[in-house]
Amino acid sequence: MMNYLFSIALLMMDGIKYTLEIFFVTIILSMPLGLMLTFFRTSKIKIVKAITGFYVWIMRGTPLLLQLFFFYYGLALISDNPLFREALTLSRMQAALVAFVLNYAAYFCEIFRGGLLAIDKGQYEAAKVLGLSKKQTLTKIVLPQLLRVTLPSISNESITLVKDTALVTAIGVTEILYFAKARVNADVNASAYLVAALFYLVMNFVLTKFFAYMEKKYSY
Amino acid sequence: MKMLEVKGLKKSFGDLQVLDGVSFSVEKGETVAVIGPSGSGKSTMLRCLIDLEKADAGDIMVENEFLMQDGVYVQDKKAQQICAKMGMVFQSFNLFPHMSVLDNLVCAPVSVKKEPREQAIQRAKKLLQEVGLSDKADVYPSALSGGQKQRVAIARALMMNPDMLLFDEPTSSLDPQLTSEVLSVMKKLAEEKMTMVVVTHEMGFAKEAASKILFMCDKEIIAEGTKEDIFDHPKDRRIKEFIDSILS
Repeated sequence: MMNYLFSIALLMMDGIKYTLEIFFVTIILSMPLGLMLTFFRTSKIKIVKAITGFYVWIMRGTPLLLQLFFFYYGLALISDNPLFREALTLSRMQAALVAFVLNYAAYFCEIFRGGLLAIDKGQYEAAKVLGLSKKQTLTKIVLPQLLRVTLPSISNESITLVKDTALVTAIGVTEILYFAKARVNADVNASAYLVAALFYLVMNFVLTKFFAYMEKKYSY
Repeated sequence: MKMLEVKGLKKSFGDLQVLDGVSFSVEKGETVAVIGPSGSGKSTMLRCLIDLEKADAGDIMVENEFLMQDGVYVQDKKAQQICAKMGMVFQSFNLFPHMSVLDNLVCAPVSVKKEPREQAIQRAKKLLQEVGLSDKADVYPSALSGGQKQRVAIARALMMNPDMLLFDEPTSSLDPQLTSEVLSVMKKLAEEKMTMVVVTHEMGFAKEAASKILFMCDKEIIAEGTKEDIFDHPKDRRIKEFIDSILS
């Protein structure tokens, strides 16, 4: 029995690299992108604010699975021009990354917007009377506090992301769940799901510990 | 020498007028206390002086340079330069919570004036000693009492070597015991002839440390003078009512 479980785990190791790739690429790209969207979303220019609001509405208002299908199956079909079609045809992994980054950026946009609201206006006033420029106020006063207050939400979002990576199995990316499902079908034995669950649990355990450490380190 | 001259300052928030022609001046080395009932526009007036609020009309002159002339502000860069001559201490302290006390002090001189960090740290430590907080350099603001926070805020403002300090109800959120430790720092500054404009509810401070008192009421300064003029021989009924209300 142990040997059987171990052999499944070994097989899944091949899939874990896709899971990790989606996780890290999404986190690394969607957070700065989300922050940028936050500034657009809180912009004084009405049209910029409205467009960003619309984007966030679409991305948060439709299923991530639908967005995955759209970028993998649907995107190339929006044009009749063969050249465009070729350019818009994404590989499974490309489509997965595009969908995840764009989707998570919308969530991070709202998380950071909430964090921005939590910063007291006295902080901006103190920075101003001390002569700090707008840029200095942003980098030295606002961003550090913004990241600190949003850390619990970022942690939460990361855990969701680990689990969401399993969705890409639906467009045939060979990540953990893809192998688990294949094993279960081939062996008519559900233990592969258990092994997959263990993978996700371990990853989220590490993440939880990491964010707990960060929260402690940056507490004030 | 005139440090500050304000003429005909007017300000409205929408339909609500809060300042209706405020004029006064502050000489170098003077400690001016601004007193008066709540809602009389004291804080708004102070905030206009350092460009935290935009006044609608009037003149503001700092060390003989216009910040605002006839209701028109000078351009941003010039305004920044003029406001840099002033420091401000807030009712709610507004310390940077994510920085240690020492970093709160050195942040602005290092980033704005490009002062070498080591030098700024030396000055900061000296100032912390002067406000009696040498042992708190490495703690975060959340670990301080209100009185300690306000003393740090005063030291932080002094780090920029301002010619004049503005205080916006610096002790209003402190209990009496903590108030006195902040007031004693302010009195020391007054003795050292730091030019100060202090919006306050502390009549004790106004009486003891202020060289001039402005009484604000109904969007205007209705009296200006020494503590004797204001407290002992109030000319206006409203001043007398205010003083009686505080004493009772």
